[in-house]
Amino acid sequence: MATTDQEVNELIKREYEHGFVTDIESDTFEPGLNEDVIARLSGLKKEPEWMLKWRLKAYHRWLEMDEPDWAHVGYPKIDYNAISYYSAPKRKEDMPQSLDEVDPELLKTYEKLGIPLHEREKLAGVAVDAVFDSVSVATTFKEPLAKAGVIFCSISEAIRDYPELVQKYLGTVVPHSDNFFAGLNSAVFSDGTFVYVPKGVRCPMELSTYFRINAANTGQFERTLIIADEGSYVSYLEGCTAPMRDENQLHAAVVELVALDDAQIKYSTVQNWYPGDEEGKGGIFNFVTKRGACQGKNSKISWTQVETGSAVTWKYPSCILKGDNSVGEFYSVALTNNFQQADTGTKMIHLGKNTSSTIISKGISAGRSSNAYRGLVKFQPGAEGARNFTQCDSLLIGDRCGAHTFPYIESKNKSAIVEHEATTSKVSDEQMFLCRQRGIDPEQAVSMIVNGFCKEVFKELPMEFAVEAGKLLEVSLEGSVG
Amino acid sequence: MKQAPTLSSAFLHPACDQLPEPLLALRKQRASTLVDMPMPTRKTENWKYSAKYLKLDDEMAISLPNEGKTGNSLAVPGYKVVFINGVMVPEASEFPDMDGIAIKRFGDLSIDEASALSLQLGSTLDPKRTQFAHLNGARFEDGLLISLKPGAVLDQPLFIIHETWGDAPGSAYPRIFVDAGANSQMTLVEEYISSGDASLLANTVTEFDLAHGANITSIRLNMEGENVQHIGATGVVQQRSSRFESHCVGFGGPLRRHDLQVRLEGEGGECKLNGVVVTQGKQHYDNHTCIDHVAAHCNSEETYRNIAADKSHAVFNGRIHIHPDAQKSNADMNNKNLLLNSGAEIDTKPELEIYADDVKCAHGATIGQLDEISLFYLVSRGIGRRQANVLLTMAFINELVEQIPVEAVRETAQMRLNEFFEQTFQEA
Repeated sequence: MATTDQEVNELIKREYEHGFVTDIESDTFEPGLNEDVIARLSGLKKEPEWMLKWRLKAYHRWLEMDEPDWAHVGYPKIDYNAISYYSAPKRKEDMPQSLDEVDPELLKTYEKLGIPLHEREKLAGVAVDAVFDSVSVATTFKEPLAKAGVIFCSISEAIRDYPELVQKYLGTVVPHSDNFFAGLNSAVFSDGTFVYVPKGVRCPMELSTYFRINAANTGQFERTLIIADEGSYVSYLEGCTAPMRDENQLHAAVVELVALDDAQIKYSTVQNWYPGDEEGKGGIFNFVTKRGACQGKNSKISWTQVETGSAVTWKYPSCILKGDNSVGEFYSVALTNNFQQADTGTKMIHLGKNTSSTIISKGISAGRSSNAYRGLVKFQPGAEGARNFTQCDSLLIGDRCGAHTFPYIESKNKSAIVEHEATTSKVSDEQMFLCRQRGIDPEQAVSMIVNGFCKEVFKELPMEFAVEAGKLLEVSLEGSVG
Repeated sequence: MKQAPTLSSAFLHPACDQLPEPLLALRKQRASTLVDMPMPTRKTENWKYSAKYLKLDDEMAISLPNEGKTGNSLAVPGYKVVFINGVMVPEASEFPDMDGIAIKRFGDLSIDEASALSLQLGSTLDPKRTQFAHLNGARFEDGLLISLKPGAVLDQPLFIIHETWGDAPGSAYPRIFVDAGANSQMTLVEEYISSGDASLLANTVTEFDLAHGANITSIRLNMEGENVQHIGATGVVQQRSSRFESHCVGFGGPLRRHDLQVRLEGEGGECKLNGVVVTQGKQHYDNHTCIDHVAAHCNSEETYRNIAADKSHAVFNGRIHIHPDAQKSNADMNNKNLLLNSGAEIDTKPELEIYADDVKCAHGATIGQLDEISLFYLVSRGIGRRQANVLLTMAFINELVEQIPVEAVRETAQMRLNEFFEQTFQEA
């Protein structure tokens, strides 16, 4: 296999293509975190009094919390006072009123990333909210959405314009005391997306947010809140990129989903933060808390994630299945290469009757990376007739990487049924031989095999993104044949 | 932060000094590592589900007396060693008299033998995961060293009956070490029983060191009473082409914990771990297993079945760790659970930690209830619902019990399990 090994090494060296820095004037806070910083941040966003109080409460609770150390990842200690908690592209006066007023440099950035910001690109058919460092720069397709009654805006706007909705739901799914990173986020979140889909409305298009970290030494703390009222449906997608820098940067987001009776939320993520270079230098620390509450009867929340970026990923999109007959789904592809570390998985908490959940997790590790699935499936005594199926498969490419599975299964109801299975394997010599014998070069063969390995998850993604995810995987993995 | 409680220092003082000097020194060293040992809590990962059952009062630190009881005269189909409260009772024991097989009490070892043993004791266990094996190391008062010379084959199984007995609270610390030479063979049966009704603690450690080609079968029956908390550990290290087979059958109690750790250090090693656990009432049972594939070309196969009834709690945590360079490892873990009542709880965590790419590893876990269709089938053929329940539950675990290679033990286990299920389904 000497030749393929060589090919592997060459191909693994492929560079991160979103690693450019946009030269743009920005307002950035001095590094450091204290009450004043939070007050300044809140003031800058013209937030109401209750919001500042909420942030400060979270901050004080956070000070008492310990950073979690149970995950299967190692990273240097983070100095939370060396991070700047706010950075925004400098603007002349107020918020831009339309896309024409957005800084052309910014638009160019998004163009480079291949994100359709301009409304004329209706072909893409996706409404986009773009978040650049700490602020939301533009939201598209507001009008047709408003016609349908869907609220889709940055969370800062929502706090100002729809305080009663935000106050009712913010922090109900992920309370500020939930964990260390959620606490930090609650205190300092700078922007994010807010979605409200009213009763009986099927959101007419896919909603999407693109996150971009640009400024150096800043952390990004966005907060997403999606509420699907009775009988509504919404599909939401987020994507993320960051420039290449030698220092590690922190990203600690919180996503809360609320599904009421008969509502359905589909949340897809294509995460491609800068993973660090081949020596493991730099990259984003991605510590994210995502949780959805199926509060109503017959509600459904589905998480799909494709995780290819970040130096360290710590992320467990979860479902609390409270409503009877509610459904939770988790489809994940996590790919790690070089020195990347991922500890990701899900929690399915079954509270209501006849609730069901499905977990499909595909981990691919290459290089010297480490990739862990960590999941919890829990049936409370009231979860009569509940059902779970879990499948986690790992694929190892190369003999220096690690693949781990840590599933926790807890059942307190006799009628609940849970099935869990996990396998670990490598791209087999037989598979490679078969492909090569038919004239397919090794790089393409691996790509085919890996794509096949991930097919179950990709088919859950909205079509355009399934294509994007497939390509992303190809780029991240190309030729890592063992 | 609130200060976590630590192990009471009352537990750090062993009673008997009738041991060779190197072993006394070892005990002292172990005790020193236990000073300020935090007691497991809900937040201690490997005691997450069981910490709430652990109740160690100071009065339980007292070593149970080993006089005044002679041990039962139970006949066994093989050789027999009786331990009462962690100390051997010679008059109740029948040793094999064979070339190449030496069975010695720790107290009878020469200084040289004892100093060699002191280096080996505890070497098969990962100290980070078995805090209580260290407690045993600090407290053992007697023990058995079973040495098999290369090629020695024990013709009949060796039974060790561990009886914990007491009219007042206290604890016992039996210790067994099996040093199996190259190509040696033996079957060791350990039965844990109890008498008396004070609250007692049995803290046991059994270790196996398998040289190349050794073939050891270990059978473990845990049948202590409702007054006994049991924290046991079994450590196994295997060299090239050796084979280890373990069969554990456990009945629940106020606290039951068994850590089984196997380290495959030589190529071609093979281990097979079977386990059955049944709990009822408010009982508890926690099995933690860990298989370390250190060398390449090793196979491991693990099957555990738990049945929890009433308000009881059964826990399984299986871990397979494939070290870097342990290529061509084959590991298969399977855990199936039956939850008979909604008040009961089953927690399972089958873990894989893999650092080599050319391996085949799989694990599966299920939790469910008896199949309604099978039940209906039996009932429709005139079998009472209760009897049908007993039959199906028994069938769920019998697959494993039937594999126990010693007939007498198999029959005892089957009989006890059947009784257990008859009792469980009484009101059903």
